[in-house]
Amino acid sequence: MTEVSREAILLDALATLADTLVVGYDVVDLVQMLVETSTSLFDVDDAGLLLADDGGELDLLASTSEAGALIETIALSAESGPCIESFRTGKIVAVPDLRTDADAWGEFRIASIDAGFLSTIAVPLRLRDEVIGSLNFFRREPGELNRRDLRAAQAMADMAAIGILHERSLREGDAVRQQLQYALDSRVVIEQAKGVLAHTHDLGMDDAFATLRRYARSNRLTLREVAQGLVDRTLIF
Amino acid sequence: MPDRFAAAAKAIAAIADDSVGLAAPLLDAIPVTGASVSTIGSLLGTRTLDASDRRAARIDELQFDLGEGPCWDAIQSARPILEPDLLGRPVRHWPAFLGAMQREPVAALFAFPLMVGPLRFGAIDLYRDAAGELAREDAARAEQLAAVVSRHVLRRAIRTAGIAEPAEGDRFSRRIVHQATGFVIAQLGVSAEDAELLIQGQAFSENRPMTEVATDIVERRTVFSMDSGFIEDRSTDAPPAGSRGESARAQSPSAEPAESEVPRADPSADGSTGNDRLGDDGSDVAEDPA
Repeated sequence: MTEVSREAILLDALATLADTLVVGYDVVDLVQMLVETSTSLFDVDDAGLLLADDGGELDLLASTSEAGALIETIALSAESGPCIESFRTGKIVAVPDLRTDADAWGEFRIASIDAGFLSTIAVPLRLRDEVIGSLNFFRREPGELNRRDLRAAQAMADMAAIGILHERSLREGDAVRQQLQYALDSRVVIEQAKGVLAHTHDLGMDDAFATLRRYARSNRLTLREVAQGLVDRTLIF
Repeated sequence: MPDRFAAAAKAIAAIADDSVGLAAPLLDAIPVTGASVSTIGSLLGTRTLDASDRRAARIDELQFDLGEGPCWDAIQSARPILEPDLLGRPVRHWPAFLGAMQREPVAALFAFPLMVGPLRFGAIDLYRDAAGELAREDAARAEQLAAVVSRHVLRRAIRTAGIAEPAEGDRFSRRIVHQATGFVIAQLGVSAEDAELLIQGQAFSENRPMTEVATDIVERRTVFSMDSGFIEDRSTDAPPAGSRGESARAQSPSAEPAESEVPRADPSADGSTGNDRLGDDGSDVAEDPA
């Protein structure tokens, strides 16, 4: 990637983040955008962002695809893998080659390799002193991320945290946990709305999500708004 | 009076785990002498959950024993069965039940089905010791309360059975349940809450984990439909013999041969105009209470 195009993508991401802070934007939309931007911004193939819920359990808020293999890989990482590790320690956890160093996280490693990933990196989502989640990147090639990409990854995580923090300040009085729960609840509604569209349009989950997002974008609505409308059956398309 | 309805709905919702106390709020909201709430059929079994008095309990008992009566018709037709003058001018024909009722001072009887979406599993019986129509707004309120009671009863049964829901921590399994919930919303036009309850109910009736049922829905092997009365299953392999799923489906009027056929009287008197939801053969089916 040329430095110019990388810069353009970064600027886009920053502009969207600015939108969040200035005009208000749904946190799920923001996080989805960040996750997707990351794959074009630096050398990763898939990404997933997880937030901790009320009970401290990590829940997937956004991912680059709905592919079962990716979701399963992320789930295992959140159970026993780099994802939960980065969340617990608040540190970046990198596995440059999933085929070696098979001491830990066996189930996760096997699933990752089956899914076609050879390296992964988990970046903690920090909100001041607290770790609120983890942003996970997966690559089909082994190897470390270069320093520049690592910084970009951390920037993505920080942007997500800022977006969530900002939403929190919009809802004054809400504890961080409640705010995180709001984001995760949005995800529930979005999953339900995907089901609605999958049935009514006879689509797979990826296409259902794409349809949902297309509608949201062309009507200047948030993902949550469109999803809620579909689930409440006040919106039919 | 909407506040009476609200108070009754609130009272039902407040009932903790036991079903005792289900009948009293009905009496507070609807001008009848007595009320009973019962589950009927193989999904939740056939038994009275709560009755406001011994007569109300007796009405249930007779219907269960005889395998006929308003509560059976209510669950089969999925709509209220209204008998404002049960002994004088009965709308429907239940020879054994009406014969037995001659000894009870019950002049009017109104039955409302307990159902959530396509799942039907019980009835509310309301009786009066004097003949007379149930006012339209009282009937409407009773229907609404039946819906509240239905959800309460089904939820409680599912909770008691400890249906394998995805564990709190198992967020990723939850995902497919949410997606399946969306399918059911679209298939039945119900709320998200009801759709999830239906998936739970289906899991309960088939004695399977909720995620399995959800996966079948998302992969289009199971389709919920109101018309069939019960849940259609597109998969070719039948559930294992003796599973609860099989018995739940067998409750469908079309799936079980009639134990005894009773000609249906003109239902227009209770305001209903068709029997679309009954078996295609048009027969009325008296279910075996076993």
